Amino acid sequence: MLEQVAGGSPKRGVLKRSQRRTLYFFLFISPWLLGFIFLSIAPLTIGFLSSLTNFDGLNLPNLKFVGLDNYVRAFEDPDVSFSAIRTLIWGFVSVPIYLVLSFLLALILNQNIPGRGIFRTIFYLPSVIPVVAAVVAWKSILDKNAGMLNGFLDLFRPGIAIGWLSDYALEGMVVISTWMGLGFGMIIFLAALQNIPEEQVEAARIDGANSFQIVRHIILPLMSPVIFLQLVMGLINSLQTVNLPLILTQPATYTQGLVPPRDIYLYMIHTYIQIFSNRRYGYGNALLWLLFVAVLILTGIVFWTQRYWVYSEQTGEGRQT
Amino acid sequence: MRRYTRERFLKQFGRLAGLTVLILTTILLMLPIITLVVTSLKLDSEYNRYPIVFFPQVPQWVNYQTVLTLARFAQAAWRTTLLGIPYAIIITTTSALAGYAFARYPIPASGKLFGVVIALLIVPEMVILIPTFIVFAQFKLHNTYWPWVLWALAGSPFYIFLFRQFFLNFPKELEDAAEVDGCGPLRIFLQIFLPNSTPVIATVMFFAFNAVWASYLVPLIFLNDSQQLLGVVLATEFKNPRGITLTTLSMAGTVIYIFPPVIAFFLAQRHILKGVITSGLKG
Repeated sequence: MLEQVAGGSPKRGVLKRSQRRTLYFFLFISPWLLGFIFLSIAPLTIGFLSSLTNFDGLNLPNLKFVGLDNYVRAFEDPDVSFSAIRTLIWGFVSVPIYLVLSFLLALILNQNIPGRGIFRTIFYLPSVIPVVAAVVAWKSILDKNAGMLNGFLDLFRPGIAIGWLSDYALEGMVVISTWMGLGFGMIIFLAALQNIPEEQVEAARIDGANSFQIVRHIILPLMSPVIFLQLVMGLINSLQTVNLPLILTQPATYTQGLVPPRDIYLYMIHTYIQIFSNRRYGYGNALLWLLFVAVLILTGIVFWTQRYWVYSEQTGEGRQT
Repeated sequence: MRRYTRERFLKQFGRLAGLTVLILTTILLMLPIITLVVTSLKLDSEYNRYPIVFFPQVPQWVNYQTVLTLARFAQAAWRTTLLGIPYAIIITTTSALAGYAFARYPIPASGKLFGVVIALLIVPEMVILIPTFIVFAQFKLHNTYWPWVLWALAGSPFYIFLFRQFFLNFPKELEDAAEVDGCGPLRIFLQIFLPNSTPVIATVMFFAFNAVWASYLVPLIFLNDSQQLLGVVLATEFKNPRGITLTTLSMAGTVIYIFPPVIAFFLAQRHILKGVITSGLKG
């Protein structure tokens, strides 16, 4: 399109210019393109191929093709189904809490409140704090023996020692992950809220709608595409959570890994242990590909529900129930 | 008239309630950081005492001095900085170049090409990371920093997207004028685009450096103890030579560990938040 700017130049020159532009395009993206091929596509393929073998990292010379054995084995492994269920529970608890809280915060911040900018910055702060530091910081509150929370409860009921990060590991992890993610969700929702046309809200107010009705019938439908995106990303992230349970159990090195409490024995933790403690590379890669398929299915399901609750310009009119 | 005042009262009341919620949330969000700092000033004997001592009798500022001179902490911090800075510079350069190409030299298929990359972000990180480790281990590249160099050279779709969005706003005339003056595309990029892109460069640099500084899983997998980065080092509490854990010392180390990203964030928060929004709303 842009070549036409060159105006009167002969056709051959135009072509040359567009060829030159193509050349520049590929020249400039070549580092990234090469990286994409060799550092994303290639490992992805190799991972899948190795999931069809009995690879353990050392048996490259006498590698055996085992077909889908690793996948069949995954379905017979009781720890896989157990950890998959734990992972779903983790996702279905942590993601809605994250969505609701960050949305509420954004709604409040969207009002004309003094010091809005400062609050916005402070709420985002936990999101820039490294995950290890977040866990250590929360340990100073939630630790069973020396944490401040048990110390506080101890004042009322002496001798209380609740393992917030062991007996209630899932709940503890939800608290930590919400703390870390809240600011991000809030920033995104706030930005989307500020895109909502003022007139629409004003018109509803003149028609006598109260604040709750405005949120329910105007703001929520208009925000639903953003909520949808956050829901999808949140679910995808929650299915592959491995950081938090790993840090909470502090494995000094991955070969002598400690096993997390059963509550947070997530799917990726099981996979991690298969790969790094048991050196079952083939089996571990099969588990990873099963996770990938699960992510695709879950995303597909969420996309399918989209038509029932996500507002779009075409079907938007008759949606108010 | 009555209705009007009632409305105004409700509005004022709503504002006050909102402000209260915001202040309470702030306190709640800052609580772990406050208790971390308070705990880091305790003696280990105070930390382990029952019933729990909330505040140290004498704040042990010496904990900070000790941890800074502790070889395990200081060396890991130094290594992480030395890896993070070149990583950030390289990945910003390659991502900026690719973003420039997508914004200014789009070929007909470039939109689709980028769509594929965005779609691939749905692939769980570990599905790529584990085979990468397996391959790199075969080439003896694990326990070195080469993987980070390669990843940096490859750029990142997320950063490329940020640069692309930023470069799209540059006026076409600027480029045309430079071209008439005989500037090649690379010179236009270096002398016109880059000098006018401080906000997006700062943002990407921040994200990239923090990606190394805050990383846990990747160094845990790719590095052994003698080259380990700070995040992994801090995840295991320090021990004294007799094998006793030094919890409050580790916490002092963690407070220092938090400082660089937090300070950088405060310095450039307006640009960083803008970057977060750009990538989060459209990505």
